Amino acid sequence: MKKAAGLIVTAAVAIAAGTPTALLAQSSSPPPHAATAGTPAGPAPHLSSGKPDLSGLWANPYTPDMAATDTVLDPNTRKPLKLSHATLPDSKPAVVGKGPRTFDLPYTEWGLKRWKAYDPVHNGDYAGSCLPFGMSRNINSPHGLQIVQNDSAIALLFEQNTWFHWVPTNDMKWPADLPLSWNGVSTGHWEGNTLIIETTGFNGYTRLDTAGHPHSKQLKLINTFTRTDARTIVHTVTVHDPKAYTQDWMNVRTWRLRSAPDVIMEYSCEENNLDNLMSGAIKPWKPPQDDDDDN
Amino acid sequence: MMTTEEGYKMTRNLSLALLCAAVVCMVLPRGVSAHHSTAAEFDTKKPITFTGTIKKVQWMNPHIYTLVEAKNADGVIVVYSVEGSAPNSLFRQGWRMDSLKIGTMVTVSGLRSKNEASFRVGQAKITTADGTRIFAGPAPGHVAAE
Repeated sequence: MKKAAGLIVTAAVAIAAGTPTALLAQSSSPPPHAATAGTPAGPAPHLSSGKPDLSGLWANPYTPDMAATDTVLDPNTRKPLKLSHATLPDSKPAVVGKGPRTFDLPYTEWGLKRWKAYDPVHNGDYAGSCLPFGMSRNINSPHGLQIVQNDSAIALLFEQNTWFHWVPTNDMKWPADLPLSWNGVSTGHWEGNTLIIETTGFNGYTRLDTAGHPHSKQLKLINTFTRTDARTIVHTVTVHDPKAYTQDWMNVRTWRLRSAPDVIMEYSCEENNLDNLMSGAIKPWKPPQDDDDDN
Repeated sequence: MMTTEEGYKMTRNLSLALLCAAVVCMVLPRGVSAHHSTAAEFDTKKPITFTGTIKKVQWMNPHIYTLVEAKNADGVIVVYSVEGSAPNSLFRQGWRMDSLKIGTMVTVSGLRSKNEASFRVGQAKITTADGTRIFAGPAPGHVAAE
């Protein structure tokens, strides 16, 4: 456990080295939010600047299927989208759950084609190959994440595969010519007490979730975070991808603070998936041959 | 985690643990298989049940493997490699690498690998002689924080 804690400190130091402000001072003095279950949570903590402090080890609900019943909302009304849920008999077998895939999101023709065709078992599994899951699937993962934050940035330290994601909140501009990437690049800003993170620049190789819901390079992922009390974050994710979906859609989830002595732990995907890949139990992922068609 | 919260009554903790176990079982029926399809490796048409002894626990990501020595259908002693959940999730439920002692007799039911030569078993249920289920849900005596 000391080793795991050391990893967090090391990560925080590395992050702080790239920032103009003292991130360590923020992350090394967490607010007294490891309150007990059954006792009042208390108000959300704030940074000295007055911004809400999202720091902490958070349990995010495992979301392998972002289109699960009644979870797909219209961002404008926050009411469930009306979708046909028609069975798609010509689709590949479902990766999550049983039964055939359905018209469970507002697909475009392009998006529907990719939803029906997703087949990691036979066509290569990028996640099983331990390649980056992408911003959406990182947040969907079941193992939680540590957030460290100061007034100029926020770092999401995912336990899943020990990945990190860096989000400037100080109007920093990413280089316009950065190559497209698995996780994309994010910027954050505050609207009242809500942090809004917008992520673009995806290479299109990932899926939104384990079920395999598609996205294109045009994806803009909008995640919001509102710490409603010391132990709770209300998180929303909105998918804006006009190539894959005819309209925006969203999920709303509740995160819970993990109480001490729970800590973030190391997670090495390769540890035994390497053997699965070499034995053929998991088919290795390869980049799509036709870039325009697949992304 | 094995968390003790001040001022928190044991009876309530136990209730929460049981509730948590129920929720975990509903949400993660096959363990936390976060990123690869069990359909890729294991054959639903090849169920297997056997009794054997624990040889080793490989506490590794993304799934632990419990090595169980048993006789196969031909009476030959083999070592099955039984896939379990993610080690970090199990740790938070109170399980440890040495929760299951070497030499313990267990019964395993699960699915054989699609690969005929493989002795891997997936979607498995491991129980000890007294019926205790191993490496699934909260460990015996584990008290969930929330």
